[in-house]
Amino acid sequence: MQKVLSKDRLKEFLLGLTKNHDLVIPVKDRITKFKLVENREDLDKIYLKDITLAPPKQFILPENEELLEFKGESVRELHNKKEKNRRKTIIFGLRKCDLNAFLVLDKVMYDENYRKRRDNMILIGLYCENPDEYCFCNSMELDSEGCYDLFFYSEKNNYYISIGSEKGKGIVKNLKDNKGKEIKKEPKNFKTLKNKDIEKDYKNKIWKTDADKCLSCAACTAYCPTCNCFDIKDTTEINLKDGKRTRNSASCQLKSFSQVAGGKIFRDTRLAKLKHFIYHKIVYYKKQHNRYMCVGCGRCLRVCPTRIDWVNTINLLKKTEKMKDERGKK
Amino acid sequence: MPFTPKKYKILSVKAINPEVKLFRVKSRMNPLPGKFFEVSILGVGECPLASCSYNKEYLDLLVKNAGGVTSKLSELRKGDSVFIRGPYGRGFPLEEVKGKNLILVAGGTGIAPVTCLIEYVEKNRKDFSDVFIYFGFRNEDYILLKDRINKWSKKFKVTVCLDEKIRKEKNKNKGNYKKGFVHEVMKSERLSVKNPENTCAFMCGPEIMMKAVSSELNKLGIKKCDIYWSMERRMECAFGSCGRCMIQDVYVCKDGPVFKYDFIKPRLENEEESNKYGK
Repeated sequence: MQKVLSKDRLKEFLLGLTKNHDLVIPVKDRITKFKLVENREDLDKIYLKDITLAPPKQFILPENEELLEFKGESVRELHNKKEKNRRKTIIFGLRKCDLNAFLVLDKVMYDENYRKRRDNMILIGLYCENPDEYCFCNSMELDSEGCYDLFFYSEKNNYYISIGSEKGKGIVKNLKDNKGKEIKKEPKNFKTLKNKDIEKDYKNKIWKTDADKCLSCAACTAYCPTCNCFDIKDTTEINLKDGKRTRNSASCQLKSFSQVAGGKIFRDTRLAKLKHFIYHKIVYYKKQHNRYMCVGCGRCLRVCPTRIDWVNTINLLKKTEKMKDERGKK
Repeated sequence: MPFTPKKYKILSVKAINPEVKLFRVKSRMNPLPGKFFEVSILGVGECPLASCSYNKEYLDLLVKNAGGVTSKLSELRKGDSVFIRGPYGRGFPLEEVKGKNLILVAGGTGIAPVTCLIEYVEKNRKDFSDVFIYFGFRNEDYILLKDRINKWSKKFKVTVCLDEKIRKEKNKNKGNYKKGFVHEVMKSERLSVKNPENTCAFMCGPEIMMKAVSSELNKLGIKKCDIYWSMERRMECAFGSCGRCMIQDVYVCKDGPVFKYDFIKPRLENEEESNKYGK
């Protein structure tokens, strides 16, 4: 049974949530991003028109996450204390791509820290009304069900809310039931990824055109909602004895990513690094977990300073293949 | 939690040459050959190392002063403590190769997992038939674990290959060293194995060495799927989460670090080719 909430009562509803939960909403500040609601003004900055530029991943993969604390030679794990008695975090306004990004991360992050943070979250989805020219989520075989606690479908003046879990049910128990027809919609895309069977094309020369444009700035990985690679780093206090072991994000587009002791860099060139990013999203992850790592949000394309469009590159591969076939027939 | 290391005491430290030291650490873990640990110094960081002993009482860590953590490790002394988590990875497939001939090849500090394997073979000698061992080092000063190599020379067919010229005065009283890279020595010595189809090769060292040796072994009739490589990559988490050690679609930490040559070869070639283009 769906629930109904009128659109002009949304802020009131969200304000109600902040009483017992930490609420994260998409806002428009300098860029569009997800932000923890700290006061009433934050709620006024809410931005639901289209997809946010920055993904919500800092709430599940925080920067400088503290793993261990050490004093002299005694080591203490930090997760127990922190997560106890902690309020649940609600993330509101997650589009289908962002919701699926959480499912992707669940399969590669299996440490307790992540698990506890993830169990402490309530994900509220929002129907994506205006996919832009970079969105290609329909090509990535995303899950429509099983990825949310609540999902808001907007229709005229109302939100029709589907319930995905018991956690979600508790939040909307005071709202009216939808007596009419159940609303279910899928977002419409302009862009498609026409070919995902690209393993054989690894050595194709076409990648060189993209690699030539690449600046190795790592914006694609920073803005990707599923990029989870990390670095483990120690920091010490001024006495050099006490300190913390922290987890930080790392990017495969940087040379230090694959550098080992002695200085050898295993993926050294822009071509190797860029291809690793694309193939990890489309091929490698699929082999291990039977789903694509890419969720088709298009953020990597949107933020690329040199406008590398690898989706288009893959489509071109398909096109040239077709042309070759036709030539063969003639 | 998987990131939490345990404290271990250093029983002894032995400097082998100015760059390499051997640390004996008290531990009852006794990992199977080919597995590795994340060894760390609090406040500095972690580095992946394999034990070079197969022993219930201790781990032997061969540390080459090559990076941030290893340079700090080299400063530790007897009685100090190190922090270790592990063992991780899949080791050498010892059950699969029972009853077969073995060719073991190690180059430089890649000697660690191979010596662990040799000690395993020593303890379970009846499980294997002929055993050939090849070590490759830069020159006489760089020979690691010399006493163990001398000991094994009496039990197995051991060949030590040195890349640089052999100094004659030393060669007189010590050992039987051959000049040249391992694959060159194999060729010039005319290494022959009785049943090449019933022979397995395990190796660890620089990739360029393993590649040359593998193709030499191929010529002897040893199949690519019977050659195993122990690989090095940057392992940060060691359980297949951080993505740092990926070679195309495989995680070295979780799926390896020991791979069949025919499995890993196309993946390495792909990456190698992309590494040749541009910067």
